Amino acid sequence: MTADPRALTELLEQSHDLQADALRPTHDALDELVELSHLPADDDPASNLSFHEEHQRSLRSSLGGAAVLGAAGGAALVGLLASPAFAGSSKDIQILQTARSIENLAISTYKTALTLPYIGGSSANPVITKFCQVTMGQHVQHDDAFTAAIKSLHGQQQNAADPAFVPVVKNAVAGLSGATASEGALGVVGLALELENIAAETYVKDTTLVSSTTNRALFASIMGIEAQHAAVLLAVQALLKADAPQLISLSEPATVEALPAAAGSVGFPNAFYKTNSAAPPKQGAVK
Amino acid sequence: MSTRNEKYVFEGSERELSSMTKDLEEFHNDVGLSSMWSGVSSMVDTLRDSESVTRSTSRRTFLMGTGAAMVGGAALVAIGATPGLAAATTRAESRLHLTGATTFPPAGYSGDLAVAAVAASLENLAVFAYNAGLTAATAGKLGAVPAAVGTFAATAKSQHTQHAAAWNAVLRQNGKKAITETNPTLTPTIQADFAKVGNVTQLAQLALALESVAAATYQAETSKLKSTAAIGLSASIEPVEMQHIAILYYVLGMYPGSQTSAGTPLAFSTTSAAA
Repeated sequence: MTADPRALTELLEQSHDLQADALRPTHDALDELVELSHLPADDDPASNLSFHEEHQRSLRSSLGGAAVLGAAGGAALVGLLASPAFAGSSKDIQILQTARSIENLAISTYKTALTLPYIGGSSANPVITKFCQVTMGQHVQHDDAFTAAIKSLHGQQQNAADPAFVPVVKNAVAGLSGATASEGALGVVGLALELENIAAETYVKDTTLVSSTTNRALFASIMGIEAQHAAVLLAVQALLKADAPQLISLSEPATVEALPAAAGSVGFPNAFYKTNSAAPPKQGAVK
Repeated sequence: MSTRNEKYVFEGSERELSSMTKDLEEFHNDVGLSSMWSGVSSMVDTLRDSESVTRSTSRRTFLMGTGAAMVGGAALVAIGATPGLAAATTRAESRLHLTGATTFPPAGYSGDLAVAAVAASLENLAVFAYNAGLTAATAGKLGAVPAAVGTFAATAKSQHTQHAAAWNAVLRQNGKKAITETNPTLTPTIQADFAKVGNVTQLAQLALALESVAAATYQAETSKLKSTAAIGLSASIEPVEMQHIAILYYVLGMYPGSQTSAGTPLAFSTTSAAA
């Protein structure tokens, strides 16, 4: 298994090619971004602070007592998180930079998680491993799309992770040792779920904030994918908590009969996707 | 790699999962619904401004309208002329008339309100299809139905009912009649497909097709709508349909996410299936 996200992307059955139709509208209309993005930026320090504090609490909660990411591969994540550079320029660019900061964090988290034996190693559930690999590759593609959009606007690229999560993840990394395989897997799933929900909620909200329809289409094409990641993680989390990891499998449809009834709905708890955890537009923007 | 063929006996796990679901549902009712109503209320106000509808609406009357739409959503529509789905129509549903619309959306529904009408009709179709599936399952026409599939169908139906209610609340509060018919373009196809459903796998495949249309439509409309509130409502529903899709793929034993016909996972959802 490779933990290199870009190498992994190449191995995903040429999915870039297969998604040409989905991306074409974005690339075709990138010029529109240039024209429509030069709008005044909103700045909401109170909102940013509130979000920051809320997610510090939220992430602490999701990590629970399981010290997860640390021992294996934590250095790369810490390196990413240590990068400074935030805030400023047009609103669409800032929103896209914030999106990149979220994708950067997600990619790094999955990359690190896949170095753990109970996520990417021989003792891991193969469905979880594949999910993490595919999901990491998809976040790389999202990051590439946001990068292209920023580039078309002549904006500065955001190569760092969202600063709101730096202290919390650092703490998680510092407290990694001692987790059992099951505790560790549950902790990773919980952290990934938190990040996927933040991404999905942020992009849902961003569809109402961006000024260009092309940007809106880009966020609309990604938000549902992140929501699917969250749905899968919710189901996996429930089965892990129920001490039923053997039911996390992909096999012939008839075997679905072994799943508990609640597994059929745990992946989509809300009829309307919330946005109360969405990152403010400037939170991950480059200064 | 474990397989689901291995016998596993739940002792407490089911209760634990049910408890989690109950907690989530309560949280949803406490937070999710209230925020949704707030969002839809805002949408109503915005659309009213854009449509120059002058009728005054308080939050109270809006919520009353929403409640009425919700009740209407539970006692849907309208496919009476043909077998298949119509055969599963409940007594409450059969009270409702068959619209037989030749043009849709109806005259007078323009702009974002036309989109709302189409969205409501799609949600109605989803509700009707899930209801038909549940009815067929209860009648033993689909063979053994796994518990998780039953829960999925009932929950998805409930959520589609809420989606339809939200769009119809918008229409009512903008002086338009609620849309109680299923989408006239897709209904014949879904009826024909439902007539062929004989087991849970086929039902899941049909549901997957419907959910894919809904998600693609919301994705496409999110980019086209004018009202910020309408964009927000559409964008808040699309990810939920996408989650339905993910779980349906899992039920079918496939990779749990949007994918090509060859099974390649997609990093970007597409609008090719949009209504």
